[in-house]
Amino acid sequence: MAKPKEKYKVPVLDGNINIPRIVPGASAYEHMIEAQKDDMEALGFPSKLQDGWKEKAIGVFKEILDNNKALRDYMDICVRCGACTDKCQFFLGTSDPNNMPVQRQELMRKVYRYYFTPAGFFKNLSNSQELTEEVLKDWFTYFYQCSECRRCSLYCPYGIDTAEVTMAARQIMDSIGLGQKYATEVIHKVFKTGNNIGIPAPALRNTLDDLEEEIKDETGKDVKIPMDVEGVDVLLVPPSADFFAMPHMESLKGYAKVFHKAGISYTVSSYASEAGNFGMFLGSYKNMKEINKRIWDEARRLKVKRVIVGECGHAWRAAYQYSNTMNGPFDFLDSKYKSPTHICDFTLDLINKGAIRLDKSANDDKVVTFHDSCNVARGSRMGDYRGGQFEIPRQLIKAAANHFVELREGTTRESTFCCGAGGGLLTEEVMNIRIAGSMPRMQTVKEAVDNHKVNFYALICAICKTQFSKIFPTYGFDAEMVGGIHQLVSNAIIL
Amino acid sequence: MTPLNLTTAFYLLFTYTVGLIFAVGVILRIYQYATTPQPVNIPLTPAPLTRGGALARILGEVFFFKSLFKSNKATWLFGYAFHISFFLLIFMHFLRHFIYANPLPWWYNIFVDIGIICGIIMVLSLLFLLLRRVVVERIKFISLFQDYLILILLMLIGLAGLSLNYVLTPAALTVVDNSLDPYMNGLLTFQFTNIPANPLFLIHYTLVMLLVAYIPFSKVMHFIGIFFSPTRVMVDNPVEERYYRPGAKDLSI
Ligand code: SF4
Ligand code: SF4
Ligand code: SF4
Repeated sequence: MAKPKEKYKVPVLDGNINIPRIVPGASAYEHMIEAQKDDMEALGFPSKLQDGWKEKAIGVFKEILDNNKALRDYMDICVRCGACTDKCQFFLGTSDPNNMPVQRQELMRKVYRYYFTPAGFFKNLSNSQELTEEVLKDWFTYFYQCSECRRCSLYCPYGIDTAEVTMAARQIMDSIGLGQKYATEVIHKVFKTGNNIGIPAPALRNTLDDLEEEIKDETGKDVKIPMDVEGVDVLLVPPSADFFAMPHMESLKGYAKVFHKAGISYTVSSYASEAGNFGMFLGSYKNMKEINKRIWDEARRLKVKRVIVGECGHAWRAAYQYSNTMNGPFDFLDSKYKSPTHICDFTLDLINKGAIRLDKSANDDKVVTFHDSCNVARGSRMGDYRGGQFEIPRQLIKAAANHFVELREGTTRESTFCCGAGGGLLTEEVMNIRIAGSMPRMQTVKEAVDNHKVNFYALICAICKTQFSKIFPTYGFDAEMVGGIHQLVSNAIIL
Repeated sequence: MTPLNLTTAFYLLFTYTVGLIFAVGVILRIYQYATTPQPVNIPLTPAPLTRGGALARILGEVFFFKSLFKSNKATWLFGYAFHISFFLLIFMHFLRHFIYANPLPWWYNIFVDIGIICGIIMVLSLLFLLLRRVVVERIKFISLFQDYLILILLMLIGLAGLSLNYVLTPAALTVVDNSLDPYMNGLLTFQFTNIPANPLFLIHYTLVMLLVAYIPFSKVMHFIGIFFSPTRVMVDNPVEERYYRPGAKDLSI
């Protein structure tokens, strides 16, 4: 399925993020593969478009409007001030006006006007439009060129969150049988095996054994990665990529060493072996809750005291912002701890308490920079103070390495750019969108490499890691530069 | 008491209808925004951890357009200038009603001058906002008919208002002023008197009425909607305090 590399459109980096002139339809050619029948059915959606889809879609649209304040409000109040038009990495990268957040919303808003406001009466004047097949095609294209990163919401005077609009649109499309293959397939795998990658329990145990051996070879220590153990203190839920993908596995080794050294008993679970939650990408409350529930069911079954989530952006948002609403309250856990806890928060706390010690010089060959993952930055928090999601990872990096530089101001913290593959875009068929969407971030990477000799790009998101491992070489950087914060911890921890 | 003329009869009916449309429209919208459940907690982080903090955040948006300031300085400047002058003008129009007495307070002329300055600022900032829609490629692309409509309507209102001060002789203006006060009183007390007959005034008045009637159906509803925007008004405490709405449906998040 992978396209030959020559076919990719890779921008030349000059370190500048310019606002492009608009080119209507510039990225209309790139769209998702439609979902497969059994995946859709497993998720409770019709397998494909059926007669009467239009009425069904409008019915679902209405139901969401009546039950989701955000969508209701945001459909009405955009003033088209344009403040968001130059804020989306997918517009900056593709020049396609439908990737300007307001215009992306307009794809839905014009349908809203037609069916739900008196403006629908003055069709041409008010830009209202029936939900035709043409419009549906645009929806399927452009609502899958949004990574639900919320950057636009930050800059909108009313906080209009295009991610909410995107989620609603995807939910409507799913409910009439027009799904995205990648995300629905992944969720189906979670329901079958407990994780996004579809690894069954024995295979997972094998991998963990391999990792234990690797650690033994590297350090001479017997660091265990327990699985499905009852009665331990901590249930650790990493994104499943941490078990199998590179450089993710290096971070998993880091977590294991931290638990080992601190002497805190923990386990991973084969039933809840996935922190990621693609239900969020679908915008589907029901699927998201179902996936999320596995974690808390498992915490209950294994009688742990607390739940810790590994390095993953949207997973952390799902765990932090939604868990308690969807599957709480967690009164069966130890109320001494906040659950869920982010692994960075946990490790930093141990360092501050002196429970583990790091030797920073182990990372002296590295000049580290940090990419704020947008779901962590704009959709969650770590620690117990505002902005902890920015400070804690930075403090952790600085505790593990001597050389740290920030990326360009205005593209970090809450203003961070998305990696270009979040929100269910981490799939081959939209590779050109991923390359284009990562362009603004890559410009700042180029600048950091040129000016500061940065050679390690620290991340706390499984999707970011996969995306950048792929994108860095595409833009001519070394894939080895990409890694997790716990990879640094793993190098530096004194066992 | 002079008998009411036909123009006045028309405007009385017009004004009450507009008032009704506005009140009902806005109240319905508020009701709708307020009663639609928000299924999950979605503040845009970093967000305040307390209710008070969230209130401060939203007030920062309402009074200073903080997010807009972050995103676009020019739009902020002219958008802000427009809103401030517009609100001052609305406020002064109401205020005038209380201070327009016989004899006029010594500072009445200063008061009117401030109003005129606000009017000029308002029209100029609107002009900039309009130019922006025509000149900046991206903004032109996203602009719809209704965006131009509201800008032009507001500009015409401003121009008509200013023309009362610049085109009319002071004597003619006084005639308008003198009959406007009892007319307005009459609207509230139902002791109707004739509306000022000056055509410039009537244009100004009519345009304002059209604007007011249009508001509940337009993007101007952002002045209500912002107070219900979940990304801005919600508190970042989903772990500390369970956010749970039993009525929320398993729909979209
Ligand atoms: S910034 Fe907000 S109000 Fe302005 S155009 Fe974008 S979505 Fe609309
Ligand atoms: S949520 Fe992110 S990707 Fe989607 S429109 Fe907004 S800025 Fe673009
Ligand atoms: S992959 Fe990372 S940067 Fe991209 S959307 Fe997710 S958290 Fe944001």
